[in-house]
Amino acid sequence: MSYYFTILSPTDVPLFNIAFGTSKSGGDGIARFRFPDTAQYMNQFIIHSSLDVVEEAQWMNGNMYLKHIDTYPPASAYISAFLTPSGARFLLLHQPPQLPSNSAGAGGSMSGSLLLGSGGSSSRASASSVAANPTSPQTEEAVRQFMTEVYENYVKTVMSPFYRQGMEIKSSVFRGRVTAAGRKWL
Amino acid sequence: MVVYSFYIFDRHAECIYKRRWLPRPVSTVGSKSSRPTSEASAPGLPATLGQSARTTDDDAKLIFGTVFSLRNMARKLGGEDDNFVTYRTSQYKLHYYETPTNIKFVMLTDLKSPSMRVALQQIYINLYVEYVVKNPLSPVEHPGGIGVNNELFEESLEQFVTRVLS
Amino acid sequence: MSSATKASRIGEELWKTRVDKVNAELVTLTYGTIVAQLCQDYDGNYHEVNKQLEKMGYNIGMRLIEDFLAKSNVGRCANFRETADMISKVGFRIFLNIAPTVTNWTSDNNQFSLIFDENPLADFVELPDDGRAQDELWFSNILCGVLRGALEMVQMQIEAHFVSDVLRGDDTTEMRVSLVRYIEDEMPPDEE
Repeated sequence: MSYYFTILSPTDVPLFNIAFGTSKSGGDGIARFRFPDTAQYMNQFIIHSSLDVVEEAQWMNGNMYLKHIDTYPPASAYISAFLTPSGARFLLLHQPPQLPSNSAGAGGSMSGSLLLGSGGSSSRASASSVAANPTSPQTEEAVRQFMTEVYENYVKTVMSPFYRQGMEIKSSVFRGRVTAAGRKWL
Repeated sequence: MVVYSFYIFDRHAECIYKRRWLPRPVSTVGSKSSRPTSEASAPGLPATLGQSARTTDDDAKLIFGTVFSLRNMARKLGGEDDNFVTYRTSQYKLHYYETPTNIKFVMLTDLKSPSMRVALQQIYINLYVEYVVKNPLSPVEHPGGIGVNNELFEESLEQFVTRVLS
Repeated sequence: MSSATKASRIGEELWKTRVDKVNAELVTLTYGTIVAQLCQDYDGNYHEVNKQLEKMGYNIGMRLIEDFLAKSNVGRCANFRETADMISKVGFRIFLNIAPTVTNWTSDNNQFSLIFDENPLADFVELPDDGRAQDELWFSNILCGVLRGALEMVQMQIEAHFVSDVLRGDDTTEMRVSLVRYIEDEMPPDEE
């Protein structure tokens, strides 16, 4: 499983980006997206395109964690969202590893021809992993834990007197903590 | 019990507050005091001590000289931590309290009064610190009494002396 | 009873009975905002910011000592070691609810270090990432000024400065305090 995590300000300015891979089931924590060449901008594109759904979903209930809200089938990308009370959006894109063609995993419904060319090594973190199925209750729970932990650290970070609202979060401490949270839950 | 007068001296040996209370109206003598306190029409001290020409400023200087010397003497004889609490003459009693920050509180009363050490300490803790030190608009040091002569402090002092002490 | 345990007891007692409490985040954010604003006002001249913080602290210390004495009702300290315990166990305790460790005395008993295991002023703080703040800014420098102002009022001229700070990535936060001299009583100006 590979992840791309973004924090957007209430006015849609990207404050923070990080890409990482799963550390569960022997994963090495390195992101291996299916289309490494285009992943960098495609991930951003996919995440931003889900903002409309976020804006709709945020009024459906009072929860901060909106769960899995959008899917982008061509890249087998799943988006989960979390809202802070101040209107910042935490968006997590997760992309299950490419499974063997006969797999019944959630990513299996994608047309295989589109998915060729990604690294085979990611198959190590396979079906046994909690996160292998992006819409399972376990995954939702893991993402919720991750989001909550990131949120706690986000609050501490924006409490720093040298941080101004709407500024990009450059703190290496925060980055370290997000990485740690990812390792812990995802 | 009658309180004649009250003085505060800061660590620079300057009199930053003085005030007199009159036990009874006596003959009127002009006072050159610039302080906005109750204008003294007669010195609180008995007439044998208070010559009419002497101003309240002179009083303050005399009192400072007295307590300063007395204190140093007390220390020499009794050790660094020693201090005098009060002295009395045949006419009045002088009470003395000094804070570790070298602010000196002095009160002159009649002979019948009990020890005023605690009262002076109360004035320091409950009035001076609360209304002068903690007032953000008053300066840290009070040359010429600036900052001490604020309404809250003066009124509370007045109340303390008239209600609590008498 | 050693002066340290005695001071601990006084501090503990005062903290429980005489001190008005205020929300810690309020203090942290207020102080942080002041420092950040100073950094902005002085255009990132951190030496100047350190200096201004020290000066602000000095003015605070001169007042704070009176409140300290009014609350604690303690008398003069017998020596500088006792003063150090008083600062750590009573002063810091009642104003910030911490008790930095007093250590690293010089042999002449005129210099010691305060080690801050926690520092409420610096919670949440991350220094600006401009390559200079980490080396130049002493974020909590106001504390040096507070000590200088407070001790000056009780006739001690001291010099205080930070030598390390966890915010800069050091292992500890340490302030060095040195006694310069005891201040003599001032005499009234001579007017003959």
